[in-house]
Amino acid sequence: MARHRRAMRLIAVAVLLLATAAPSAAGDVAAGRRKALACQACHGLDGLSKLPDAPHLAGQPERYLVKSLDEYRKGVRKNELMTLVVKDLSDQDIADLASYYSAIEVSAQPPK
Amino acid sequence: MKNALLCVASALVLAWPSAANAQAPTAGNLEKLSDFKTTGTPMDIPQVPQTGAKADAIKKNLARIKLPRGFKIGLYAIVPDARHLAVGPQGVVTFVGTRKSKVWAVTDRDKDRVADEVKEFAPSISFAIPNGVCFSKDGFLFIAEQNRVLVYPAAEFFYEGPDVAAFVVVKQGELIPPEEESYNHTSRVCRIGPDDKLYITLGQPFNVYAPEKLEPYKKSGIGGIVRMSREGKDREVFATGVRNSVGMDFNPKDKALWFTDNQVDGMGDNQPPGELNRADKAGMNFGFPYFGGGKTRTNEYKNQTPPADVTFPQVEMDAHAADLGMTFYNGRMFPQNYRGGIFSAQHGSWNRTTPVGARVMFTKLKDDGTADKTEVFADGWLTENGEYLGRPVDIAQLPDGSLLVSDDFAGAIYRIWYDGR
Repeated sequence: MARHRRAMRLIAVAVLLLATAAPSAAGDVAAGRRKALACQACHGLDGLSKLPDAPHLAGQPERYLVKSLDEYRKGVRKNELMTLVVKDLSDQDIADLASYYSAIEVSAQPPK
Repeated sequence: MKNALLCVASALVLAWPSAANAQAPTAGNLEKLSDFKTTGTPMDIPQVPQTGAKADAIKKNLARIKLPRGFKIGLYAIVPDARHLAVGPQGVVTFVGTRKSKVWAVTDRDKDRVADEVKEFAPSISFAIPNGVCFSKDGFLFIAEQNRVLVYPAAEFFYEGPDVAAFVVVKQGELIPPEEESYNHTSRVCRIGPDDKLYITLGQPFNVYAPEKLEPYKKSGIGGIVRMSREGKDREVFATGVRNSVGMDFNPKDKALWFTDNQVDGMGDNQPPGELNRADKAGMNFGFPYFGGGKTRTNEYKNQTPPADVTFPQVEMDAHAADLGMTFYNGRMFPQNYRGGIFSAQHGSWNRTTPVGARVMFTKLKDDGTADKTEVFADGWLTENGEYLGRPVDIAQLPDGSLLVSDDFAGAIYRIWYDGR
């Protein structure tokens, strides 16, 4: 019974997380690549950082990308550059960009 | 469980790469070098490979670059993160700044006009954003970092080993107040002026700064250009009202200082224009933050009266094209039309819907020393699909009159020469 209650609570938390999570339009990879022209100077079209201050985006979890962009848009996260760039992005733009960058395949080789 | 642990372990290794590197420079090295003592840094400085797939790909991209008739472009060196350039007055080495933690020494030993050796300069010293490199005529190399300036006498001689003569011009934390340090607009540029003083551009860290910053920035020269003696004394603010200048040079003819300035973002794709400015005396105000570029008023300051004595740019460049490094052309290799004019680099826009820039521009001057007209000199690094193949940063002249162009996107330096064919 206790276990059941705990499971229910977990589901509730999960539902809550989903509900508060960022917009969930379906992303289009090809459209995302076109829109990524405004991201490439820092993050690269290949999703690999081109500037010392910019992170790699290649292969990032899609949900994380949507969440980050949405947080910049809402002002929860602030950055002199990102805050400006996301200002005019629609939910669809964000979904497209997230699906493009998350679709880039990467492999990692940790140092021995 | 074991997998999770492995993940954590590799994440830790990724997070602290420098902890695993036993050869990282230590803090006391600068004191030793200033005392002409060795630091124990390994003598063998690794070189950057100059051939291979990357070099081949860059050469292929260069075949797309369009230049006026008679000019050629070729790969000069593979230099990771290449930013501003300082060509040694003896013509031995070119020093290359980065926005990371290294300065590169690029040598063309056999004088075939292609570099054959690229290695780290002064690996015994740890640098923070050592973007600004410049030489005095008598061979002192100055490096302006995020918040420190050092001078390296006879850098063209000492660069061969890891230990170089190095002295403090501006102590760590005294170029700008440490609380103003930012990742944004932190690429310094330096020049030794005709008055033998050291000039440094200081970008301000914001898109448009808040009104309470007006006074302190005016005093410290942030959002402006400062000058001081070569020993770092008698500092004064030379120019104000600048947003983020990442390129300057003196006209040898009339000694005026010209500089590029990057203008306000977030006002749409087509405004405000980028700038090429001329300062023929100290104390001039170039309009920021009242003006966001050219005569375009910023939204933030639109209800305030700008200073009456604002100097507007000599040339308005394409909006967001990001005009960076520049040099006067004092060589004799290029045709007469180019002599005494300005070559400047456009890095290319970073967030414009349709990218613009990634070019080398040429500005001709009138006899009175003001701008005549500006034209595109070299382009093709931006494809028809809007993809960057390279982003030019700085331009410098080699002793033979050819030009070097740095590119921090491709991680390379190109050479442009004229053969009339």
